[in-house]
Amino acid sequence: MSLQPIRTPKELGSIDYYTSGHRTCAGCGPAIGYRLATKAAGPKTVLLGPTGCMYVANGHQFLTSPYAVPWFHTQLGGGGAAGIGTAAAFRALISKGKRKREEINVLVYGGDGGFADIGYAGLSMALTYDYQRLLYILYDNESYANTGIQASSTTPWGATTTFTPTGKVKRIGNERMKKNVALTIAAHPGVRYVATSALYPPMDLVNKVRKALNSGGPAFIQILTPCPKGWFFDPKHTITLSRLAVETGAWALWEYEEGTFSLTYKPPKRQGLREYMRMQGRFTHLSDEDIERLDRVIEEQWKLWLESDRQRRIILPWTPPPTPL
Amino acid sequence: MSAVTARPVQRLVPRMRIWTGTRAIAEAVKIADVDVIAAYPIRPYTGVMNELARMISDGEFSAEIIVADSEHSQFEIAKHASAVGARTFVGSSGVGLLYAAEAITVTALAQLPVVALAGCRALDDPGNFGMEWNDTLVFRDFGWLVSWAKDAQEALDMTLVAYRVSEDRRVLLPHFVAVDGATITHIASPVSPPDERIEGFLPPYKPPYPLDPEYEPVTKAQHIAPSLIGTEQRKVVDVSMKRSRGVIEEAWRDFSRRVGRSYPPFLESAYMDDAELAIVTMGAYTKDAVYVGQKLRERGERVGVVRLRYWRPYPAQELRESLEDVKGIAVLDFSYSFGSPDMGGAFYNELRAALYEAYQKPLILDFLFAGGREPNVEHFEKAVEITKRAVERGRPERLVYWLTLRGEDI
Ligand SMILES: Cc1ncc(C[n+]2csc(CCOP(=O)(O)OP(=O)(O)O)c2C)c(N)n1
Ligand code: SF4
Repeated sequence: MSLQPIRTPKELGSIDYYTSGHRTCAGCGPAIGYRLATKAAGPKTVLLGPTGCMYVANGHQFLTSPYAVPWFHTQLGGGGAAGIGTAAAFRALISKGKRKREEINVLVYGGDGGFADIGYAGLSMALTYDYQRLLYILYDNESYANTGIQASSTTPWGATTTFTPTGKVKRIGNERMKKNVALTIAAHPGVRYVATSALYPPMDLVNKVRKALNSGGPAFIQILTPCPKGWFFDPKHTITLSRLAVETGAWALWEYEEGTFSLTYKPPKRQGLREYMRMQGRFTHLSDEDIERLDRVIEEQWKLWLESDRQRRIILPWTPPPTPL
Repeated sequence: MSAVTARPVQRLVPRMRIWTGTRAIAEAVKIADVDVIAAYPIRPYTGVMNELARMISDGEFSAEIIVADSEHSQFEIAKHASAVGARTFVGSSGVGLLYAAEAITVTALAQLPVVALAGCRALDDPGNFGMEWNDTLVFRDFGWLVSWAKDAQEALDMTLVAYRVSEDRRVLLPHFVAVDGATITHIASPVSPPDERIEGFLPPYKPPYPLDPEYEPVTKAQHIAPSLIGTEQRKVVDVSMKRSRGVIEEAWRDFSRRVGRSYPPFLESAYMDDAELAIVTMGAYTKDAVYVGQKLRERGERVGVVRLRYWRPYPAQELRESLEDVKGIAVLDFSYSFGSPDMGGAFYNELRAALYEAYQKPLILDFLFAGGREPNVEHFEKAVEITKRAVERGRPERLVYWLTLRGEDI
């Protein structure tokens, strides 16, 4: 059964499948993403959670569970395999007549450490198979948050983390450029649907989840999810930061459906990164020039994003990293 | 040819096949109608997956077979498929098993009855196709049942019994069927596949709380505060392991009755009745050990042989009963444990620990065959000879011998 698109939050209804009973930080972006993604998927869903904040902070010392659908932990690097194993079990049991025929969503909700680093090979393997309604969501809080904010391969250039602190000799903090995980996933020919998303615009994530589940094959969505603890900002600004990430072009929203690329949001007039970055404590050590140089990188990238959109084809938005002065 | 044909004698003489161990195990997986299989290549276990892939491609039975990107993924796939309610099969060898170690641990602690083949092989470095037990023995503390077959026939039978025991609600623990690399995985020998009498031996697998939206939602393996249920969670596995002993006995009794082969559940012994010396081992070399035992008996030496069929649960009580009256034990040990008590193998030290509670303690010597160099019957005879001398002298010269070592055994 196809999941219909949603126009307003009201249409989503009042039932939550990720609800109270967790202990994430106030304003936790990944938790908001979890709530929206599970609402979009509905009750016929199995959730799988690699280790990370969305495992540890969703557990609770009083043994309550925030999940109203079946949920099972998988190891930090096990997300890809867990999804495949679950989907394979349903297909085997159904095709052998051991279980009633029904469409079941399998949704793996893992962090950037889990999917972009330690579990990257497993995710890649999983996306070479043809299981339907198998959706991998990478909630990208741009660090190993649960272990106390360490840099991952999706941590942006310039961010200070506990493994990439800014110091007297190393001024910049993280000197690696953020890996574009979703683009590498698009290189898997078996994947029907790949998208990036954010907590803004409001129904963007919900509809992408529904499209992904309808797509007829395995699918992948990378959501940028602000993390007040790791990005150092007031919890009330989670959605504001999501909006600024999208409007400044720091985070491009796109989807790739059976070989066709399109931007799902084009910033009308791209604002500079300054407001977005200055709201986050992890960038306070950067100078105005650093931010300007990063701005120019983003500017270059956007030319390529727009060209990709025009051609409906992926062009890798490669740019040289901003070398520190 | 006349039209008169002889009546087949099939019912009386079981139809024998000449199968390698991996081929025989694949047959058991097919008989068990396994639903999800996860494969990754590493010698010597790989053959089982080659066979299963071929069977599935030829339509001999139907299962989802996933070619994983690593052993870690392989075991995670099996674990998660099992949580939904699928019967699963995986396996590995050598460093592959260690690569999967994290996924192997959690499978037991989540109480999922995955069955895996461990095709024992020396660990790297350097790469080595030889046979050692360390790759499998390291999982002794993890909550997996571990049984050890001595030939292809037993490997087939053990795989079927493994599903029955693991999936039993009183147990719900994963199960390694270990076989010695090369000697069992690759050597073809006569195997009699079970006939229709096996029907009903293996009831369908139904997890108590399937991870399926068809049932009440479960939250499985959620992060916990250790003070809350940490201890109880470990106790559940402990109790399951304890209960598995009775279930194993039950299963082998039923299996033996159905196939007409008699299997003692935990220990197999030869010439042990009045034995003064015993050879203790596991796996394929048991046959050579029995040959040595027979030879020495013919010379009037009172030598017996004991083979462990299970490593977990460890048959401590049975070993005590069987070995309490002997004076010396020669352990044929394909494991090592650098820096362990008296620098003996893991297999040896476990046996010593079990016999510490015996009312009479025999001398126990370790004959350690590390590094994959194959021993032969002369080595085993020498092991008995050394043990005999130690008994006669009343004390051992040393406890651990590397008989296949070239050069000085320092
Ligand atoms: C194999 C393994 N290595 C390390 C850890 C420690 N660990 C627990 S949570 C975590 C962070 C995971 O980061 P990410 O996937 O980005 O999720 P986040 O914590 O940011 O939500 C790490 C490294 C682990 N659980 N397992
Ligand atoms: S550290 Fe970040 S991701 Fe983790 S619970 Fe807090 S806000 Fe959420």
